[in-house]
Amino acid sequence: MKMRRTKLKWISTCCALVLTSAVLAGCGSSAATGTTSAAATTAAATAATAAASTEASASDSTAGETTAAAAGEAIIVKAASEGKVGNWGLGNEYEIQALLQKYGQPTTYLSQAFDMDGFDDDSITLASAMTYNELGLVKNSYDGGYAYGDTVGTIDMNVEGVAMLEDNLFCTSEFAESNPNTVKAFLYATMKGWEYACEHPEEAAEIVFNNGSSVSADHQAYMAAEVKKLVETDMSGNAVTDIGNMDDAAMQQTLDLAKKYIQLDDSVAKDALGALTLDDIRDASYLTEALKSTDGNFGTLEKTEVSVQLKWLPQAQFMGYYVALDKGFYSDVGLTVNIVPGGGDISETTAVNSGTVDFGVTWVSNLISANAGGMDLLEVAQIYQRSGLVLVYKLANFS
Amino acid sequence: MSDKRKRDKSKVSVFFANEKVKSAETFVLPVLFGIFIMLLWQTGVLHRLLNTDTFTLPLPGRILAIMSDNRDKIWMNTMATVLVALAGLISGSLIGYLIAIFAALNRKWGASGLGIVAACNAIPIVALAPVMTNLTKDVSHDANTRSMAAKIIVVSIVSIANMSFNAYRGLTELKPFSEDLMASYAAPKAVTLLKLRMPNSIPYVFTALRVAVPSSVISALVSEYFAEYIIGVGRQIRENIVLAQYPSAWAYIVSACLIGILLYSILMIIEGIVLKRHVKA
Repeated sequence: MKMRRTKLKWISTCCALVLTSAVLAGCGSSAATGTTSAAATTAAATAATAAASTEASASDSTAGETTAAAAGEAIIVKAASEGKVGNWGLGNEYEIQALLQKYGQPTTYLSQAFDMDGFDDDSITLASAMTYNELGLVKNSYDGGYAYGDTVGTIDMNVEGVAMLEDNLFCTSEFAESNPNTVKAFLYATMKGWEYACEHPEEAAEIVFNNGSSVSADHQAYMAAEVKKLVETDMSGNAVTDIGNMDDAAMQQTLDLAKKYIQLDDSVAKDALGALTLDDIRDASYLTEALKSTDGNFGTLEKTEVSVQLKWLPQAQFMGYYVALDKGFYSDVGLTVNIVPGGGDISETTAVNSGTVDFGVTWVSNLISANAGGMDLLEVAQIYQRSGLVLVYKLANFS
Repeated sequence: MSDKRKRDKSKVSVFFANEKVKSAETFVLPVLFGIFIMLLWQTGVLHRLLNTDTFTLPLPGRILAIMSDNRDKIWMNTMATVLVALAGLISGSLIGYLIAIFAALNRKWGASGLGIVAACNAIPIVALAPVMTNLTKDVSHDANTRSMAAKIIVVSIVSIANMSFNAYRGLTELKPFSEDLMASYAAPKAVTLLKLRMPNSIPYVFTALRVAVPSSVISALVSEYFAEYIIGVGRQIRENIVLAQYPSAWAYIVSACLIGILLYSILMIIEGIVLKRHVKA
């Protein structure tokens, strides 16, 4: 009897162990971006080579570009026919859909998680990645990285001509109209922050990391270097000197693609989307006046305490705001700024529209769909001048 | 005069004491309350009470218009969700019942076995769903099929614990002496199970299902958030809210409510029929 009981005990313990390990195995592979740790060795070197190669391909002759595009087409067609193109959806998918349609493929895609495990295990062979975030994790070997190095290739939305503008700075038109001096002062200090961050990306990365970073210091440094490129280069690869500039051609391309690929079920919103013009979504006058100022004095500020809602977790993607805060650029113009991190399903457009926060950072396409849905949001600066979205693939899968 | 009023009053009380009226009352009053809320909603009183605007809480008319404009799309997503909820509910409940039988027949490890089930049940759906999406990647080359499998597994796990606890009680809490009676007939375990335990567990099974039906719909909606293949009412709610398309999101929220109410009503009807027979037998 006693024997039997111990036997049973053993069996049930084994069962429990097997169950737990199965669940933990699943957990392990789904855990993604690691946090702080060492392994700084090759990180900087890898980032530097990656930067060099990107620059080289950008400045390549047109002949080089066409061969790249032809290779890109074959890869896109193959991945699309296998149904293995991935994107996060939730308003991040329009550039990918435009690209798929460009090569005559159906615009469906797999829902990609916020890690690169699907790419790693080949359930997604052509995965979406931001140059400053996921691409770094795929290539680099620091903590949380997948260490693919040079064994992966990318398809750039800017080169393919389907780029849409991403991170901007916006508020409601009502807020801008009733607090013009505050908006100008905020823009003045923010642009100063971005300028400083782009001049000193390593220091900016450190500042962001100290402000409650969601990723490791190494990844933060990689991100700062990549974000600098997006802020200082336009869609055709030319240098941009005035940070925050709203380029009409790029804005129009974004609006045109948005009208084509944003699918709305609501017929009222659909009609509103079709009728949107650039003047409904942006106003350059605040930035122009902010940049004219040399001392940051805009008269009496209507509101001295303002908050800005980020689109994602604290990371170098938003380094300009953290630098402006850390370096005292905001307090210099008489502003107390509260930076509100986003993440997951935070809808920055709703937060700004409801008045919970004063400013927000979003992608232009998200602002367009929000305005189509009845919000009255106004872009006051365009931080990223080119698309940071690429499709990444393993060279081995398409050789 | 006072006499007449008294008679009227008694008439009224007789009217309300009538069984048929009573059962109609339980149906009519909630419906009237619902209509009342809808009126407050459509006229904007509700928005003032909740201190919100017609942007985040659109008027019912607008929501219904979107629903009728997108009938096909909403139907397709609704069917995907219903399929997951039902398949998960049925498979989970069957597994749960089998565990309960096993536990009832082997009382010694039954209790600890149910403890493990309870532990599994404590895993939140938001943790379970991405794990299952990862574990089912090799199930099929078709993303829709493997996503379906992942979602059904999540719903099943949520349904298992509920059913096994309730069914275990139904299988073990027997009428006094009935077990002894079976023993005195020298009935084998299998016969006791079939003739005594299982019939005794039927009301408990329905108690379990009453909780499991709404929770299976909820787990189906949440697991859609993490699925690889983009389909389902839950996923559409998320997409629309992130894109600030609140009227469309509400159209899907209404669909989700209808799924829950409909499945629950069907369960109530089945329960009525089965339990009536059960009592007669």
